[in-house]
Amino acid sequence: MDVSQYLEIFIDETREHLQTLSEQLLILEKEPENADTINEIFRAAHSLKGMAGTMGYKVMQELTHKMEDVFSDVRNGKRKVDSNTVDLLFKGLDRLESILDSIVNAGNEGDDDCQDLITQLQAVIDGTAAAPAPAPEKAEAPAPKKKGGKKAAAAAAAAAAEAPAAEEETKSEAADGEKFRDFTYADFEVHAIENAIDEGMNAYGATVYIQESCLLKAARAFLVFKALEEIGTVAKTEPSTQDIEDDKFEFDFSVVILTKEDVDKVQKAIMSVSEIDHVCIGKLDKETVQKHVQRDEDEEEEESKPAENAAATTAAAAPAAAPAAGATEAKKPTATTASKPIVNRSVRVDIEKLDDLMNLVSELIIAKNGLVSLSSGEGGDNRTGSDFNDQIEYLERIITNLHQSVMKVRMVPLESVFNRFPRMIRDVAKKLDKKMELYITGEETELDRTVIDEIGDPLTHLLRNSADHGIETAEERVKLGKPETGTISLNAYQEGNNVVIEVTDDGKGIDVEKVKNKAVERGLYTREQADLLTDKEAIDLLFKPSFSTAEKVSDLSGRGVGLDVVKTNIEKLGGDVEVKSKLHEGSSFIVRLPLTLAIIQALMVEIGSEKYAIPLGSIQTIEDIPVSDIKYVQSSEVINLRGSVIPLVRLNQLLDIESSKSPDENLTVVIVAKGESLAGFVIDTLIGQQEIVIKSISKYINSPKMISGATILGDGDIALILDVNTLV
Amino acid sequence: MAEANLIDSTVESKQYIVVVLGCERYGIDINYIDNIVRQQSITRIPKAQEYFNGIINLRGEIIPVMSLRTRFGLEKDEFTKDTRILILKPESQGKIGVIVDAVKGVLTIPPENIDKPSAKNAAEDKIVFLSGVGKSGDDLISILNITTVIQDKQDEDNK
Repeated sequence: MDVSQYLEIFIDETREHLQTLSEQLLILEKEPENADTINEIFRAAHSLKGMAGTMGYKVMQELTHKMEDVFSDVRNGKRKVDSNTVDLLFKGLDRLESILDSIVNAGNEGDDDCQDLITQLQAVIDGTAAAPAPAPEKAEAPAPKKKGGKKAAAAAAAAAAEAPAAEEETKSEAADGEKFRDFTYADFEVHAIENAIDEGMNAYGATVYIQESCLLKAARAFLVFKALEEIGTVAKTEPSTQDIEDDKFEFDFSVVILTKEDVDKVQKAIMSVSEIDHVCIGKLDKETVQKHVQRDEDEEEEESKPAENAAATTAAAAPAAAPAAGATEAKKPTATTASKPIVNRSVRVDIEKLDDLMNLVSELIIAKNGLVSLSSGEGGDNRTGSDFNDQIEYLERIITNLHQSVMKVRMVPLESVFNRFPRMIRDVAKKLDKKMELYITGEETELDRTVIDEIGDPLTHLLRNSADHGIETAEERVKLGKPETGTISLNAYQEGNNVVIEVTDDGKGIDVEKVKNKAVERGLYTREQADLLTDKEAIDLLFKPSFSTAEKVSDLSGRGVGLDVVKTNIEKLGGDVEVKSKLHEGSSFIVRLPLTLAIIQALMVEIGSEKYAIPLGSIQTIEDIPVSDIKYVQSSEVINLRGSVIPLVRLNQLLDIESSKSPDENLTVVIVAKGESLAGFVIDTLIGQQEIVIKSISKYINSPKMISGATILGDGDIALILDVNTLV
Repeated sequence: MAEANLIDSTVESKQYIVVVLGCERYGIDINYIDNIVRQQSITRIPKAQEYFNGIINLRGEIIPVMSLRTRFGLEKDEFTKDTRILILKPESQGKIGVIVDAVKGVLTIPPENIDKPSAKNAAEDKIVFLSGVGKSGDDLISILNITTVIQDKQDEDNK
């Protein structure tokens, strides 16, 4: 059956189900007895399995099937949910997600057969949950000490039992962790290895297991290669070097190395790299290498087809698929990475919104017909300009509505970004061994699709930042008289033309003195200068590149590449970040984002002979100020407007324009706000409010920061758009 | 195709648009030319590089416009009825306009008639903008190296 037409639906729905599962699992962990949750999970898992089965994604189906078995036990009260089980189930979800990604990007399930997880899940079902691998296999696998090895060994061994006879031999070899025995060799690789052996060198196969806690696997692998290249030549790797560089491997990889040194030297070289768990090394001779070439070519024939079709990689065949993929590695990775994602990104649109659009378009047609009849009916009769104006107004109204509707279609609730955070905070809390809760409000707030797509990473970073640097450990919190569990809240709400997202924690807050010390240490300021910095200025230093106050670089944050990236990303979206912090009470990061990007309402003003647009969203009021009202504070001009002191910004001076007004005339001042700070822009004349389409100015010109773009006016002229954020 | 032109290929005769700037003639590889428009209203960008006159609206597209005169250190443009804006489309970059005094026409110059520029036949600071000097009859035509003209290297201090 051709199911490709359902692919998009499948992907959408799978995402949704995975999301539900993840949410419900979090609840389940806290309330293991919650029957509704269990039922919900069971339903989602069941539909997931059914869908994967229909689409022919066997690995996915099998994995969900096993997970469903676990859920089923939970539902029937046969089993209590504990943290380990939840961890395992989350691992399953992660794996499902990566399979889904691979389906989206490459059109197939990828090489991961998930046997390790399936075995573990089976173990949970069998009631041996404590041990990740079944006991008998353990005896056969003496070498691997850590989980990684055991898992792989167990998986391979378990698979070997079912595997067809032809594959028995390699599988049992693989069982002791020496995955390199499963290698398939290309002709040239065989030649290289044979030549080397002829020249008296030794060929070793090595399977390196990296600690599972390692974050930069690719970097470790790279160091291993480097170490190996010092003593010999790396003839082959599995997965390919490219994949290893791209982090596309689990916690182990295998190499063939040609060297004059002996096994101990090789072992030493590899183990000299930190975060390596263990390594299995074995000598290779010509025969084994030869054998693998022959055998695996046959296998490739058999296997490439199903692998490509993303279809049958059944339990038994799956382990064989891996070596087969190895043989095709030269072709396949390039094919998959280079090809465009198969599935287009889509937005789900409420049918009501579409109906609205349809209605508006029909109205547009009516309006057009009105205009046509007006122009053809012209001539002797009484049709005058007023009829014409009526039509224009009608048209205008429709277009405004149409614009709003289209924008609404582009709007996506923040929920789609927020919903991944509870899980993340849970994981982070576990990793850091801290207690914290994430409270989310305002996830229904809608933002433009483009913003939604971009905002995920900065927010992730801010949340991790709060969890890592903000929240103290439970003991510390108790000592400080705070509740043991830290609170991180993520609030979103609309404010004028902006959407505000706040990430607040009740942790230790930012130590301004520490920041200042750091600034002095880094040579950014002298001691005296640093002491003069206001708290706000000091906190802003955090957004400078490579500035981190964390004394210890942790896995999560503190490498000094954080907040400045957050800031640039957010500014790229036309928003800004503000920090409020109180020592020992917590800090909050306030992100402001424009609702939409392309079209805004703006106030058109004239300065000298030039026209500028000020985004309406940031304008508070427009005032007429007599020159005599200008006061001076620290030799800069301010006005006192209904009790608040507002600095004046002479736009004509900033923009090098000659004002058309004489100095003693009353000033026209546009009061704008950025967050809580106000400023008064002095302009010459007001033109009026207008809807403008923002266009970017080419990068050839070093346009100043205060210009955020340009727009084309009705008469074809260009007006520049002022960036209020940089001017205030 | 324009890719090859960037590396100043010397294989085939190329066509050049000949423009006038002051009393000199310059040639611009025709492959770069997207459009030639008459002078129109240019919106100034405050605080931009000195040689950028501003931006223009070309059928809804915002295109930056640079003055070749200012770029080459000549006196400011005087807008006459001959003044034209050449819209260039360099490889993989956005369009950019350059203001010239006049456009003379198209000229085919075989590569053997193009000499590499030597420091003698151009002012020192202008030499980077040239990729060669072409001979056509008695006329000498400086071939512009568009890549360096639109590049913004040594102008950091001019800002």
